[in-house]
Amino acid sequence: MIAKAPSDPTELRDHLARRDVLRGAALLTLVLGVPAHALVANPTGVSGHQMALLRQVCKLVIPRTDTPGAGDVGVSEFVVLALDHGLLGDGQADHLVWLEHVLGANFATIGAAQQVDRLGAIDRAAFPAGPPPATPSPWRRIKGLILTGYYTSEAGASRELQYELVPGRFDPDLPLHPGDRAWSSDWTAVDFG
Amino acid sequence: MAHEFDAIVVGSGITGGWAAKELTEAGLKVLMIERGRDIQHGDYPRETKAPWDLPFRGEGDQTLYTSDYAVQRLNRHFTEFTQDHFVNDRENPYVTADDTRFTWFRSYQLGGRSLTWGRQCYRWSDYDFGANARDGRGTDWPIRYADLAPWYDKVESFVGVSGAHEGLAQLPDGKFQPAMALNVVELAMRERIRAKWPERVLTIGRTANMTEAKPDEGRANCQYRSICARGCSYGAYFSTQSSTLPAATKTGRLTVMTDKVVEAIDYDPATRRVTGVRFIDTKTKARGMATARLVFLNAGAFNSVHVLLNSANAAMPHGLGNSSGVLGTHIMDHANTLSGLAEVPGFEAHTTFGNRPTGIVIPRFRNMDRLDGRGHTRGFSYQGGALQSGWTRGKREAGFGTDFKHDLREAGAWRMVLVGFVECMPRATNRLTLDRTRTDANGLPLLKVDFAFGAEEHAGMVEAHETAKEMLEAAGGRFLFGSTEPGAGGTAIHEMGGARMGHDPATSVLNKWSQAHDVANLFVTDGAQMSSSACQNPSLTYMALTARAAHAAVGMLREGLI
Repeated sequence: MIAKAPSDPTELRDHLARRDVLRGAALLTLVLGVPAHALVANPTGVSGHQMALLRQVCKLVIPRTDTPGAGDVGVSEFVVLALDHGLLGDGQADHLVWLEHVLGANFATIGAAQQVDRLGAIDRAAFPAGPPPATPSPWRRIKGLILTGYYTSEAGASRELQYELVPGRFDPDLPLHPGDRAWSSDWTAVDFG
Repeated sequence: MAHEFDAIVVGSGITGGWAAKELTEAGLKVLMIERGRDIQHGDYPRETKAPWDLPFRGEGDQTLYTSDYAVQRLNRHFTEFTQDHFVNDRENPYVTADDTRFTWFRSYQLGGRSLTWGRQCYRWSDYDFGANARDGRGTDWPIRYADLAPWYDKVESFVGVSGAHEGLAQLPDGKFQPAMALNVVELAMRERIRAKWPERVLTIGRTANMTEAKPDEGRANCQYRSICARGCSYGAYFSTQSSTLPAATKTGRLTVMTDKVVEAIDYDPATRRVTGVRFIDTKTKARGMATARLVFLNAGAFNSVHVLLNSANAAMPHGLGNSSGVLGTHIMDHANTLSGLAEVPGFEAHTTFGNRPTGIVIPRFRNMDRLDGRGHTRGFSYQGGALQSGWTRGKREAGFGTDFKHDLREAGAWRMVLVGFVECMPRATNRLTLDRTRTDANGLPLLKVDFAFGAEEHAGMVEAHETAKEMLEAAGGRFLFGSTEPGAGGTAIHEMGGARMGHDPATSVLNKWSQAHDVANLFVTDGAQMSSSACQNPSLTYMALTARAAHAAVGMLREGLI
């Protein structure tokens, strides 16, 4: 149930740091075909272009429908914060640089259908049928953070889905109808689902 | 000499709370001393927060977790909502032997791990208390089920344990509140498994979450939030704060000291009795001491061993109560992993409401009346449950856009999880020592853990995996994943042993009353006393042993024996 890692805190910290650097570097080399050190050392944080790109990607992943979308509730800011604090393990710079690279410099200027095509190709490659790939695409992490950011926002958790902190009872078998909204406050489903 | 207290209880967790309650209710003046901070019942600042109220939406600041919570973060119950109920690993280091790992999950605070525990409450049976005698591994328990049964009755009634009566010899029934219900999928799995293997019984977890309120004790019934480790201001699960501390406080005979770590227990070789404890204020580093007629050590298995080892003196150079030389040895933790995960089709039109704070259990069915385990002589059991996937499944799936959003709006497929718990053999080589070359912020030597699973646990994990797969598939599940590899020692958070109970003072630390063979007024009633591990959760047994030991100690005190 729990990730394998050394138990000595110092050793474990070093292990995690090594693992992340190595994995990040390998990925970048693999995906971009360029030496990773040129990218992972980027100390300047997030550029305006990266931020705009991320916001657009958030809108594409979870669009506005009868409820707000990921572009409406600050998900891109959450993704940047989470990447900056190592949520899911890697630094932000390499992910956003990677995203810029794979989506192309002209992504903002192409039409919506083309944007969907381009993101679709990345998404399909990142989620192949069968077991997860040994070296996962950075897109899996970015998309995961977008989903977390959206479904833990007030609108995503309590309007798109349902949220009830104090159910007060347990019903073990109720009919489920098409269109019934799932419970964002079903913590077991969040953990194991 | 004049003593300040009748008894000192070291630690305020599950067993410390019970010791304080039982001793004060018997008329003793008690000091309970806790190394961590004070937490008042109800003072759980993140209990009612929503994910969007927290900066990291419940997932926490991973930069901070990497630097300060490198071990605790691996605990499933450790989240941004609960992080203040776990120790800071950077400030509380320990070491592991070369090429070994041990994830030591700790909560240094008033209430200890009673605030964060898994709440599963299972009686042990004579298959368990007789295990060491049967296969000759470890030392025989000096007690059997009959010795403990009335104490199980007592603690279950007070704790408030909900569960179902099943009439199983290997998991005796107890004084239960009405059971929480199996959900629709679990109920079907129970019936399908039983139809094929009558001896394999899937039943609801027996949990210290109440289905009936105890208004006289200020405790409400469970609200089905399943956010227990944040702290529960309803008092619906058993913790020191919700249960034993109010009872002990009510007697007017309890003194509580927090932020004081016990450095050592003082021993008088002339009387062969302990006289009290020495402690360090963790904030000011000032030293202090307190005296008492008897000492109950309830610091948590490993920390109780630490105190005993660090209490070595001229008369007992290898540690207090360690004339046998076995102090620190034979530590255990259940080998534990996700044995099987399956998707269960056929229930797409069914759902549940509310968050039940317990899963299911399938008690052991191997090595009972005949030895039929493959490569091992002890037991294994499962915990787990059936659940409906939520939005997080989107992280595993291709897709985005409006259709994707609409798909994630609805509950996903039903899944059944079986987590295996394999009994851990008691081994002399699995042991705790003090590393006197390194010290913590209080100047105390670091605890060194040397622990590895052996052939029996690995064989049990293999069988637990194969059997989980066999049951899930026979019950209509589509098997997805399962492991045979146990998590690091400590993963089950059932670390125990180190001051084992036994008949013989030459080979054990404690007698059948949890009393040190060497020191009549010293009792160790937490997990350190365990001589074997069984394969079910141990906390209820620690509580029953604590209540029993407290009763015995008070009797000895009154008779002038100690």
